[in-house]
Amino acid sequence: MNTTLITQPSRHQRSAVAMLLAIGAVALAMNAALAADSLPRLAGGKPDFSGIWQTTSAADYDLEPHSNRKDAPPSAGVVEGNVIPYLPKALEQRNKNFANRATDDPSLKGWTLGVPRGIYYPEPFQIFQRARDLKIVYQFGATIRTIHTNNTEHPDDPNDGLVGDSRGKWDGDTLVVDVTHFTDRTWLDRAGNFHSPDLHVVERWKFLDANTIEYKATLEDPQVFSRPWNLSVILYRHREKDFQLIEDYRYTLDFDDFYPPKPDKK
Amino acid sequence: MKNRMNYRNLALPSLMLGVLAFAPAQGIAADQPKAQANAPQETKLQAAAAQVPPAKVDKSTPKIESGAWKGAKLADGQPDITGYWGATFGAYLNFTDPESFSSGEIPRKLGPREERAPSRVSDPADGQVPFQPWALAKVKEYQTYYANPIREEYIDPLARCAPSGIPQSLYMHGHEIYQYPGYVLFIFDQGNRIIHLDGKPHLPANIKLWNGDSRGHWEGNTLVVDVGNYNGKSKYARTGEFIGENAKIQERYIFDANGKRYNYVAEISDPTVYTRPFTVTVPIRKYTDEDKPKAVVYAVRLAKHSGKEAIWEANDERACIEFNAGHAHLSTETAPKK
Repeated sequence: MNTTLITQPSRHQRSAVAMLLAIGAVALAMNAALAADSLPRLAGGKPDFSGIWQTTSAADYDLEPHSNRKDAPPSAGVVEGNVIPYLPKALEQRNKNFANRATDDPSLKGWTLGVPRGIYYPEPFQIFQRARDLKIVYQFGATIRTIHTNNTEHPDDPNDGLVGDSRGKWDGDTLVVDVTHFTDRTWLDRAGNFHSPDLHVVERWKFLDANTIEYKATLEDPQVFSRPWNLSVILYRHREKDFQLIEDYRYTLDFDDFYPPKPDKK
Repeated sequence: MKNRMNYRNLALPSLMLGVLAFAPAQGIAADQPKAQANAPQETKLQAAAAQVPPAKVDKSTPKIESGAWKGAKLADGQPDITGYWGATFGAYLNFTDPESFSSGEIPRKLGPREERAPSRVSDPADGQVPFQPWALAKVKEYQTYYANPIREEYIDPLARCAPSGIPQSLYMHGHEIYQYPGYVLFIFDQGNRIIHLDGKPHLPANIKLWNGDSRGHWEGNTLVVDVGNYNGKSKYARTGEFIGENAKIQERYIFDANGKRYNYVAEISDPTVYTRPFTVTVPIRKYTDEDKPKAVVYAVRLAKHSGKEAIWEANDERACIEFNAGHAHLSTETAPKK
C-alpha cells in the first residue's frame, strides 16, 4: 500500500482496506485462540495442571516483607497490602512463634506443611490430575492432598485434617478451591505466621502460560485474623531432564540409624 | 472445626508409647484404629457392616498368568486398573504365617498350619525367608523385644510414622492405585509410591528412600517394576523380617482381566542378608462401589453433592496418627539410650 491509497482511497480501495483489517482481526483472534490452546488441557477441555511445580519466591521464610536475616533471604513479601491483619492476641502469638521459630516451626520437624504452606515451601510438589480430582504429592512430608473437582461439597461432619478438605470448581480456566476442616498443627511460614482450626482458604489456580501458574489464596480465620487477606505466588514447572520428586520424610532422620539391623561388630 | 482428627493408622503406636508394659493381645483387632469410635459418619456404615457375618476368608492364590491384557484400557493405553485394592487375607502382623499371632501377642490356640493362610513367601517352598544366621538372630531378637523395646532398634518403624515400605505396604491396610500418562501412583496409609513409566534412569545410588525409586513398564496385563534406591529400613511385618541396603526388588503386578484381582509377586534378594533370592506372593482383590466400606481397608464415604447418583470417596486424608503431634519423636526421647 502507498500513502496515496490511504489518504485518498477510492470506494473499491476502501473495501480492500476493510478486508485487510478484517483479516487482521481474524488473525489476532486466531493468535489468541492458539495461545489459549497452547495450555495443557485434559480431554474434557479443562486446564491440565499435571506436572512438578515449585515457587522461586521467599514466601516460606516469611509471607510479610522483611529484610535479610540469618535464617532468611530478604523479600518484599507475598501478602496483598504487606501486613497480615492479625487480631491483637493472635499478633502476640505470632510474635512469640517468630521468636521461637528455630525450634517450633513444624517444618523443621518434618511435619506436614498444610495449606497453603505446602504450595510455596521451597521444595517441589507434583500434581496428578483427572477430571474428577487432583492429587497433590508433596516432596516434603508424607500427606497427599486431594482436590475434588466432581461437583461434590465439603462433608457435613468430617474429621479435621492437616491439609483440610478441598473442593474445586472451574471459573473459566481458573480452578477455584475451597478448603476447610483444618487443625491448628500447621503454620503458614517459617516466621511463625499461623492459623486456628477455623482457617478457611480459597485458592485460585490459573495458568499464565503452559509452564507457569499464578497461585492466589484468600485466608480467613475469625479466631486469628481481623479480616480475610490475600497472598499470591508464581509456580514454575520443573523442566529439567529426568526431574522427579525425591521423598523427603524429614522426621525419619531422627531414627534413621536404628534400621535396618546390621551384623554385630565382632 | 471440632479439633478431632481421625487417622487410619494402626493402634500400635499408642499402645507402644502409652502402655509399653502390656503385650498387645488384640491380634488382628489391633488393626482397627482407636479413633473410629469418634467418627459417627463411619460408625453407622461399620455397624451395618458388622451385622453381616464375616465372609469366609479366601486363602487361595488365584492363578493369573502374565499375558495379553483383555480388559478396559485408559486413553494412554495402560490397562485400567485404577481403584481401591487390598490383600485378600491377613495383614502386616505376621509375615510367614499371616493368620497366626504376632510379635508381642499372647500365643493363642491355632488350627493346623495347612488350614491357615499361606506364608507370604512362595519360594522357597518351606515359606521361610532364607536368612543368613546373623539376620535370623536379629529377627528373633526383634520379636522378643517387640512389646518391650528396650533398645531403639526394637521399635517398629511404623510406630514412628515411617512409611510401611516394600512389600509391607501391599498388605498393611488397603491401598489406592491411580493412573496417569507416564505414571502409576500408589497411595498407602503410610507412604506412597510413584511408579515412573517413562524409562528414566534410577536416582544416583547413594540416595536411599523408604519407598525406593520405582521404574515400571506394562507387559500386557503385568506391571513390571524395578525398585532401586531402597533403604531397607521398614520391616516386612510386625514379625520383623527385613532386608538390607543392598536390596534388589523386582515386582510383578499381574492383573486378572475381570478387574477383580491381582497377584503381587516380588523377587527379592540381598546377598548381605539372605542366603538366596526368594519370592513374595500376595493375592489382592479390588474393592468397588458394590462393597461395604471397611475401616482402613476400604475406608470410603458417600460424597455430599446435589445429584442423585452415589459418589464414593476416600473418607479422610491418609496420615499417621502422630503426624504434627510429636509422639513419633517421644519414642526416641523416652527409650533408654544404648
